[in-house]
Amino acid sequence: MKKLLTILAWTAISLAGAGGLAAIAFERGEPLGATWFIVAAACTYLVAYRFYSAFISAKVLALDNSRATPAERLDDGRDFVPTNKWVLMGHHFAAIAGPGPLVGPTLAAQFGYLPGTLWIIVGAVLGGCVQDFVILFLSIRRNGKSLGQMAREEVSRRGGMIALLAVLAIMVILLAVVGLVIVNALKSSPWGTFTLAMTIPIAMLMGVYMRYWRPGRVLEASAIGFALIIFALVAGQWVAEAPGWARVFTLSGPALAAAIILYGFAASALPVWLLLAPRDYLSAFIKVGVVFALAAGILLVRPTIQMPALTRFIDGTGPVFAGTIFPFCFITIACGAVSGFHALISSGTTPKMITCEGHARLVGYGSMLMESFVAVMAMVAACALAPGVYFAINSPAGIVGASPEAAAATISSWGYAVEAQTMTQLARQVGEETLLNRTGGAPSLAVGMAQIFSSTIGGPRLLGIWYHFAIMFEALFILTVLDAGTRVGRFMVQELLGHVWKPMARTGWYPSILASSALIVAAWGYFLFQGVLDPLGGINSLWPLFGIANQLLATVALVVATTILIKMKQLRWVWVTLVPMVWLVTITMTASFQKIFHANPRIGFLAQARVLREQIASGAVATNLIGVTERLIFNNLLDAVVTALLAGMVIFLLAEALYEWYRILSARKMPALREAPYVATRWAEGD
Amino acid sequence: MNGETVARLFGGGAFLQVVHRAWWWLRQVSGDAAYENYLRRVATARPAGGSCPHGAGGVLTREEFFLDALRRRYSGVSRCC
Repeated sequence: MKKLLTILAWTAISLAGAGGLAAIAFERGEPLGATWFIVAAACTYLVAYRFYSAFISAKVLALDNSRATPAERLDDGRDFVPTNKWVLMGHHFAAIAGPGPLVGPTLAAQFGYLPGTLWIIVGAVLGGCVQDFVILFLSIRRNGKSLGQMAREEVSRRGGMIALLAVLAIMVILLAVVGLVIVNALKSSPWGTFTLAMTIPIAMLMGVYMRYWRPGRVLEASAIGFALIIFALVAGQWVAEAPGWARVFTLSGPALAAAIILYGFAASALPVWLLLAPRDYLSAFIKVGVVFALAAGILLVRPTIQMPALTRFIDGTGPVFAGTIFPFCFITIACGAVSGFHALISSGTTPKMITCEGHARLVGYGSMLMESFVAVMAMVAACALAPGVYFAINSPAGIVGASPEAAAATISSWGYAVEAQTMTQLARQVGEETLLNRTGGAPSLAVGMAQIFSSTIGGPRLLGIWYHFAIMFEALFILTVLDAGTRVGRFMVQELLGHVWKPMARTGWYPSILASSALIVAAWGYFLFQGVLDPLGGINSLWPLFGIANQLLATVALVVATTILIKMKQLRWVWVTLVPMVWLVTITMTASFQKIFHANPRIGFLAQARVLREQIASGAVATNLIGVTERLIFNNLLDAVVTALLAGMVIFLLAEALYEWYRILSARKMPALREAPYVATRWAEGD
Repeated sequence: MNGETVARLFGGGAFLQVVHRAWWWLRQVSGDAAYENYLRRVATARPAGGSCPHGAGGVLTREEFFLDALRRRYSGVSRCC
């Protein structure tokens, strides 16, 4: 009887999921409710978790709960700590959750809601979750070794080096692009700038509280910090309305970029307890809170999706970023479906804390499902906006024109009606000077979230507060990535420089700290400035570059996973990682090739450089702008070189892996697994 | 505020169980309870193995433990995109 009920329940969930997906895919002409997105996503996740991840656990990886995990064998109370699986899932989710799944889907909404939503759901279930889960398992079996170490030991010596370089490259591009998102969100916005600036002293106050007054009382400090942030949010409006103060906090793009670069340097060189850690606590709490609030808001308000299923921009002429739906939809979504970065967390602290192998399913596969759900909600928030408004916010001035009238006319001519007055009024309602040409995704996501939240609490009167709350949340989050990333980048630079000159590797030596911090900040700062000055808006060139780098790292992870599955003689099930790997190689290679060689100057870096060069040669560029144009040419060439290097690394690693597979499969080489030997657990089995 | 305080505030029953559990989870995930976990571990691990990981230095204070945990947490990749 119980079994029958279970079967019936799962049949119902499967049917609901299929119904939701069908509604999204085939609904035409009639307004589509956002609830369908939630139903389709949640039911697909449940079915995938219940069946696909169970299949991977049992057949592909053969998780063994009788085997002692590193947390049990090496328990030292510090790095290796057996942890409750729900607690560990919270840890893991907090670590993998970043601004990527919020920004990526918002940008990809320019293709319409359908392609992005499908990829977020399908890509996560078959790709991203599998990657996170398998890498976590492999690392558990190897005493918590990192992705780089596993690549070196299991694929090839150079594989490890590629993983390290890929991580460094991603870090630099990621930090630049998220920095650009903040700049675009805060440009000439005194309210937002003030609120975000206030988070710095608030974080420092929390830091002192947790360090000296009440050591380690994280929750108390976070509660105080949260209250102060809400106060700063409200105070932001007063600042924006007081002309004298508003002027102080109204910053141009380059000024904001300089401030962020300076901040990154400070956060990397200062002790973690003062700024980095407290900000991290604060943003983690706010993130989890906002995710739940957004889910509740969407279910309560049930907004109507206004974006069409597919827009005309699937042909590659999109204003938000250029490029056809394949491969750029996949590259743009990035973290919401598959994120190579997660493999670093899955092979970082998490494997050292897992109590038994069976928990890897919830922690690895389950956490990524939640991340994907966040991406679906970001897609809903973007697509609930009127398409005309969405394009007006997200299109750079270089494409639609700088004046409200010009932008409205251009966008309306595409078939997405919008009036200049609507935009002016909306800007006034949210307390901004303008909402036009605010590229980067954050402002449009904030408008979408503010509309959902204010329909639940406060109505139009609170639209401004909700908008700036959303901006503050995104920016806070991004700054956390920025300072933590800069710090990790600094350690990597120190390690690399240590090979050249020993003392540089000493992480506590101040000259080394300052030099390596400056180096890493200069690297991402350069790309950030490049984006700020780019007349096409910067996001157009930097976000795809970030997507390519991130998917490249995912490819590295899946190559490692596939190689190990082959060595484990799991040939029958090797498609589980091989299929997503082949797909990722296809999209990263196509995207890299197009970003370098495409004839359309908005897509191809070389074509853009050529067009600019021709403009100089034909005298179309004013003499005082020749210097700027030459720098744009150089930047395009640099971007082309970086893309080529990333693609070259993938090809190289693939060649090495294919050779290794050939040798194993043709019995020319005995497969040598570097697993830690089996030790039986001393704990009673069970969760 | 610990579990017992919560229990006193909210009375008994199933609801209390849920609140208690949620509070416990929050303290564990946020790291608020990390030092208590550490002390409990030191107390149980010592007599058995004698393999104290901190050498002769003895048990860390709350502040030392907090700083040590932060240092380890932020010397590797701790945040994704």
